[in-house]
Amino acid sequence: MMAAAHAKQTLDPNCLTEPVTPPFLARTGWQRWVAEAWDHLWPWHRDALPQMWRWATMLFALWVTLAWLMGAVGRIASPWLIAWWVAWSAVELLVRLRSKPYVKDGPWWGSRFRRADWLDLLAYVGFKNLLIGAVLFWAVRWL
Amino acid sequence: MVGRYRFVHGFGALLVWLVAATVAAAPNAKLYQAQLPVALFSAPDLCAYAPCNAVFPEANRFSQRMGNPPYVEAWRDEGGKKQLLGYIALSTDVTKIPAYSGKTMISLIGITRDGRFARVALLNHSEPILLLGIPEEKLIAFNEQYTGKPITKRIEIGKVEDESGNAIGIDGLSGATVTVVVQNQIVRAVARAVGRQVGLITQVERPEAHFVTTGKRYSWYELEQLGLVHTLRVYPSDLGWDTPSSMNAAAGAAGDAKPGETPALEVRFGLLDHPDVGKSLLGEAGWESLMARLKPGENAIFVIRTAGSESFKGSGFVRGGVFDRIQLRQLGDVFTFRDLDYVPLYDLVAEGTPVFDESGIFIVRDPAFSAAYPWEFVFLGNRIVDKLTGHREYVSFGQSYWLPESMLEGGRPELPKPEASWMRFWKTRTVEIGLFVATLLAMAGVYAARDRLTAQATRKRKWPVDGFKYAFWLISVFFFGWHLLAQPSITQVLTWFHSLLTEWRWELFLTDPFIFLFWIFIVVTVFVWGRGLFCGWACPFGSLSELLFKVAQRVGLKRFQFQLPMRWHLRLKNLKYGIFLFLLTVSAFSMPLAEKLAEVEPFKTTFLVGILERGGLFAAYASVLLGLSLFMERPFCKYLCPLGAALALPTTFRWFGLRRKAECTQCTACARGCGSLAIDAVGRIDHRECMLCLDCMVLYHDPHACPPLAAERKRREKLGLPLTPVGKDGYFIPIQPVAVKQEG
Repeated sequence: MMAAAHAKQTLDPNCLTEPVTPPFLARTGWQRWVAEAWDHLWPWHRDALPQMWRWATMLFALWVTLAWLMGAVGRIASPWLIAWWVAWSAVELLVRLRSKPYVKDGPWWGSRFRRADWLDLLAYVGFKNLLIGAVLFWAVRWL
Repeated sequence: MVGRYRFVHGFGALLVWLVAATVAAAPNAKLYQAQLPVALFSAPDLCAYAPCNAVFPEANRFSQRMGNPPYVEAWRDEGGKKQLLGYIALSTDVTKIPAYSGKTMISLIGITRDGRFARVALLNHSEPILLLGIPEEKLIAFNEQYTGKPITKRIEIGKVEDESGNAIGIDGLSGATVTVVVQNQIVRAVARAVGRQVGLITQVERPEAHFVTTGKRYSWYELEQLGLVHTLRVYPSDLGWDTPSSMNAAAGAAGDAKPGETPALEVRFGLLDHPDVGKSLLGEAGWESLMARLKPGENAIFVIRTAGSESFKGSGFVRGGVFDRIQLRQLGDVFTFRDLDYVPLYDLVAEGTPVFDESGIFIVRDPAFSAAYPWEFVFLGNRIVDKLTGHREYVSFGQSYWLPESMLEGGRPELPKPEASWMRFWKTRTVEIGLFVATLLAMAGVYAARDRLTAQATRKRKWPVDGFKYAFWLISVFFFGWHLLAQPSITQVLTWFHSLLTEWRWELFLTDPFIFLFWIFIVVTVFVWGRGLFCGWACPFGSLSELLFKVAQRVGLKRFQFQLPMRWHLRLKNLKYGIFLFLLTVSAFSMPLAEKLAEVEPFKTTFLVGILERGGLFAAYASVLLGLSLFMERPFCKYLCPLGAALALPTTFRWFGLRRKAECTQCTACARGCGSLAIDAVGRIDHRECMLCLDCMVLYHDPHACPPLAAERKRREKLGLPLTPVGKDGYFIPIQPVAVKQEG
């Protein structure tokens, strides 16, 4: 009972879940931002997934990238392109739930992170991949 | 408790029933994706497959397809007397402008002999709004407005402010703006194409080109680099020869190379009139000989096939003397070639000319064509639409051409920039747009001043906040919703999603200025404050729902009002995310089906069509939701709204949230008063569920209602200390003893 009351007292009511400090926050200056960008692009963490799963999901990521490029040059019809996007987002969500279960809280230029549940990661992965997909697609079309 | 369980089960059953009924409901739209005979699109006897009598009821004979683009003549034969009544064209023979669904609408368009529209008969459409929202009869009634109007006038949707009298306005169709704008473009394009062929519309004669010559002879490479020779490529996938359906084919565009695919046809073409170009390609004697054949005002182009097996000449010229596979288009005019316009081409002398196996020189005899203006070389491909039935249709693939500025005396002529059709809607509704933008800015401004406003309010006197909020709700329901029909919908999210990942078309979004501006507001405020400002303050349906709840509270229904237990709320709130993801998945494979299923939103019924007008299942559904809103705060927003879910997801990354105090973890005062059930047992706010009603912020500043503040107030009163104002941190501004310097 006492422990529960103490836990309540130490909670931060401004943060929906417990605050988390990702390893890249230890870096400073531009290196910290590069590390954060890499964290957005690389969902895997060495110790979080069995090696076989890590390789399988990485291969899948490569496959999806190829499908994406084919879509951008008009070799794959748009429904399948979106199906690949959904499939990869689902896989990334599962990978991140195991390896990097945190999301940024508050302003994007800030450094506050918190533990993520499935809904947080669904929002994060979906939104991030939509941006990446749109940028990639437009870039390939433009080139 | 048993009653609540029953409610939850009933609620779930209602949803299942709605989805099933929406899918199974027999559409009242008879023309929605109506099956049309395959031969309709290619058979010479068009009227054997199309209801031409619907356009000219008094006609008893129709000709075969004639002309390019094709049309038929409608005749009345009576007692040996033959009378030409007018002309009919199938819209897809002229243009296939995609409408809201991404597919074109197919109509028969009739033109009387004296140059007026006879009737426009819609045969097929794929517009989802006409399937489940607006009755199809309304589009049919829209088409009837054309009858009797002269084809020479510019027909525009809405009020026309054109003092020259060249334009006529016709009424639009609320809620289906894009659909009717496209239909108007189709009708006008057909009228132009047929009217010019039969002499009802005179073609504009453009001034002849005067060339700047240098005497230079160009190699093939230089000709290509300078844009004097262009390439048009059509690939097997564009013609439906292999499985992957290319996006280029759908758009009818061509020209860009597709890696790994051999073209079905690759042609190079260019204008021969310019002496430097013509002599470089044909040689001095060849060019002189060609020019000797041309009368003043005539022009010549060359075409060679450098790859592929498709023929650009086709075989039409053998049978009917017309080259039916190629044409030139210039500023709305179409130029075709007959056998007499053809000159054999055996050789090109420019250094580096590629090998070719089909060639020809074509003379443009029409004085309406001018080499000084831009033009387009068009190949009409015969595309396989259905491999099983062998159904084919003509698709045009075009490549534009315009002589460089430096080769024309006085440079390229200035072209009148055609006004985009969406621009008209913005211009004709300027005042309403201004009011709409001002309201949205005011809303954002009021919310930005929330600290000041909530500090002035108390739990028992919330008017400094609620006054604004209620005013915005009323504006949102009556002005945004019922007057402007500006109710954002999940279908727009799905369209944005697809557009971002495949092909972005600004015109699609700009056609409705209010929805476009509303989305700018939504995107900005969701990332700054979360979905709450739109959902809680600006959404017409959400505002109506909460207004009903507040009114019911005031008229004695408060004792019947209830909230779901938190454990049920936490389960059911995820339902809306499920609905959103389901719609998103369905939309990837079938946008029309996703649009049908998006009827889970009662928005169309409530605002676009009207509950009474729509009737039936959908009216019952909207009524149930609004009726439920009398007893429960925003049931639709909390549990069902896919748009709310779509906005809640990015709300995870909003920049600024509502304020909390350290004591909030142990105090449930705010949570008990939270109508959105967005505050958990330890005082944390889930901004994805929060409607930003600001009740908790009023409490946060209220020294009589917020427990830690009240305790501090009582302590100070007991000690006779002054009550300083409450700061942004939610505490009384501390009393700092200041050392007083004693004089003397």
